[in-house]
Amino acid sequence: MNVETFRYDNRVVRAFAIATVIWGLVGFGAGLLIACQLFWPDLNFNLQFTTFGRLRPLHTNAVIFAFVGNGMFMGIYYSLQRLLKARMYSDFLSWVNFWGWQAIIVGAAVTLPLGFTTSKEYAELEWPIDIAITVVWVAFTINLIGTILKRRERHLYVAIWFYLATAITVAVLHIGNSLAIPASAFKSYSIYAGVQDALMQWWYGHNAVAFFLTTPYLGMMYYFLPKAADRPVFSYRLSIIHFWGLIFIYIWAGPHHLLYTALPDWAQSLGMVFSLMLIAPSWGGMLNGLLTLRGAWDKVRQDPMLKFMVVALTAYGMATLEGPALAIKSVNSLSHYTDWTIAHVHTGALGWNGFLTFSVLYWLIPRLYNTRLWSVKLANWHFWVALLGMMFYVVPMYWSGITQGLMWKQFTSEGFMQYPNFLETVLQLIPMYRLRAIGGTLYIVGACLMAYNLWKTAKGGEFQPEQEASAVPLSPEAPPAHAHNPWGHRWLEGKPLLFTALSLVAILVGGLVEVIPMYLIKGNVPTISSVKPYTPLEVLGRDIYIREGCVGCHSQMVRPFRSETERYGDYSKAGEFIYDHPFLWGSKRTGPDLHRQGGKYPDAWHYNHMDDPRLTSPGSIMPRYPWLLTQKINTNALPARLAALRKTGVPYPAGFENGSAQKDLWNQAGKVVTNLKQGSITNAAPDTEIIALIAYLQRLGTDIKAPPSPPSPPSPPSTPAITSGDSKSGGGL
Amino acid sequence: MIQNVLKEIGGIGLYGVISVCLFFLVFSVALARACLLKKRFLNSMSMLPLQDGPPPTKGVSHHE
Repeated sequence: MNVETFRYDNRVVRAFAIATVIWGLVGFGAGLLIACQLFWPDLNFNLQFTTFGRLRPLHTNAVIFAFVGNGMFMGIYYSLQRLLKARMYSDFLSWVNFWGWQAIIVGAAVTLPLGFTTSKEYAELEWPIDIAITVVWVAFTINLIGTILKRRERHLYVAIWFYLATAITVAVLHIGNSLAIPASAFKSYSIYAGVQDALMQWWYGHNAVAFFLTTPYLGMMYYFLPKAADRPVFSYRLSIIHFWGLIFIYIWAGPHHLLYTALPDWAQSLGMVFSLMLIAPSWGGMLNGLLTLRGAWDKVRQDPMLKFMVVALTAYGMATLEGPALAIKSVNSLSHYTDWTIAHVHTGALGWNGFLTFSVLYWLIPRLYNTRLWSVKLANWHFWVALLGMMFYVVPMYWSGITQGLMWKQFTSEGFMQYPNFLETVLQLIPMYRLRAIGGTLYIVGACLMAYNLWKTAKGGEFQPEQEASAVPLSPEAPPAHAHNPWGHRWLEGKPLLFTALSLVAILVGGLVEVIPMYLIKGNVPTISSVKPYTPLEVLGRDIYIREGCVGCHSQMVRPFRSETERYGDYSKAGEFIYDHPFLWGSKRTGPDLHRQGGKYPDAWHYNHMDDPRLTSPGSIMPRYPWLLTQKINTNALPARLAALRKTGVPYPAGFENGSAQKDLWNQAGKVVTNLKQGSITNAAPDTEIIALIAYLQRLGTDIKAPPSPPSPPSPPSTPAITSGDSKSGGGL
Repeated sequence: MIQNVLKEIGGIGLYGVISVCLFFLVFSVALARACLLKKRFLNSMSMLPLQDGPPPTKGVSHHE
């Protein structure tokens, strides 16, 4: 028998492990900083680069793509080689993957604080970085499939199915959701608008959770848990059902992020039903993991790696039970936009992803350095401190979320709102925000203990850059595995490309059934004749709103509940968003909804509020934005932005950006300045950013308040009058 | 509001029915395939992670 000797590559695994620890600390630190800003608003040091709105996407991107992303690559590069008995297909591609990914993370860390953002959650990075992500992801996928094709093990273990599903689905999601028209090097507009953009974004957003935070980690669980417990997985049969059930159902569940919004009812119901069905495969996987430890619980007491793994699986079970519960429309009506969602995602992020990553690191580093863990005691300390930190994080956030939801909906016996001032509901949550910060601090302290422990472990050992192994190559003459069972899964596991294609079909079916009607919607959203494109000044104001990350705290979607229409005004209609590239519905209300903000307060109120929110709203936790009062609007960018918006379908007349747009902009700015003078603000310059932002805020939700226009065709006019109108600041068409 | 948005698309309710039917079809096939597999094959597959055997670690932990 021809036995081949070869070497596994440990260098790239170590590189990803180091990156996981470093970026984990950065991501957790950014989270702690913005958590503290919610009870200590001045903690942005009065800098525009460190406000909550700009740092929140930095935190989420750092944790998802830098911490979990590197952790995922670490686990995949280690386990894939060993499960396939083959070195990675290409060392070059491995390093393209590593350095490319780190460059993307650095790019995100620089551009997000600078305000370069698309505003779409977990997809905030602008188009050049999106392209870089695509290139690096393709390198990873080629390396993954190439390694599978040159394997020495005929059958693909279940962990590899999860890796394959991750590779192909993330590619589809990323490309689908990131399609945009560039207006400059770091500014673009989504090709989708309003309802379509929302559905595409949450198809992506939900499945980023599924196929970035879940499936690769399930693959790692199926590999590293049996290794640590030194026993095979409880039921391989169950793992097969787990895989197909999970990847098929997950892709349908995105619309549960848009319940009671202007999304079509059928899509909401479909999202809800499939979300409920997700409990079955998720819990199947969790139980499969926990039952792997049957008869080995004595090891759990001694081995911190297994302790972390058990909590990770438990957190996965909790989060995947809670997720479907939150997708029930009646529950969602209370929980949506509140901190309940924050608690839910952190059960998954801190518990499932965090603890599983820590578990793998504790197992892997001693083996890469051919030594034992420097301190088991310190690892146990890490475990208890992190667990306590997680509890201190999620329990106050559940409390906070339910408090928020109930206060927003509370009416007096006379039928009036019990808490008509939104700020009252915010101030009630401050103690919970303080407790949450304590939890976050504990979690970071635990991670620092781990970093020190792993560093000492590495120093005490000797790095093994390669590990020698030997195996018999696959022989093309060998009898096919399906000789006795042509339709069994056994046959499929020997056909990686077919397997990949079937996985692709499984995830595309769900996506297409939801996305195709999305295009049908385009012709069926009731056209509201009074809804017109934004004026040039409002476009610049909206871009400032996007740059500052206002969407991180303020929704623009009044749901059809009495508690919301009483507080904010008329509920939001799908037809109001047809020129919104991107949509800005948001997912959290740390501050009030702004969709009916237009005309609610005078221009001077907004001016003072942005200068110092506590002048107009004592006790507000919103940061100050004094730089908006002095920074100049970028009128040079206007032509390219209007042209890009026209390409997305906004019906600006041809040549508008080079003709009357500038004149219109200054006219409207002049009206805002006049309004401000009437409010005793005499020093406002028309070319400052605050003027554009006020114009945009005063436009919000006012189109349907406009007096009825003469009969018009059902589709938007091709050459609408882009002139300032009659709202307080001159906006509204 | 919500109900009005798509009511003009003919047979839109069919999407939900097709979706659930597709799921049960995929789920049934996966279940049948899993049930058809031989115990010996399943055992060999589940042992795969335990076969690569990383080198035993040496040295001592300073704080057990």
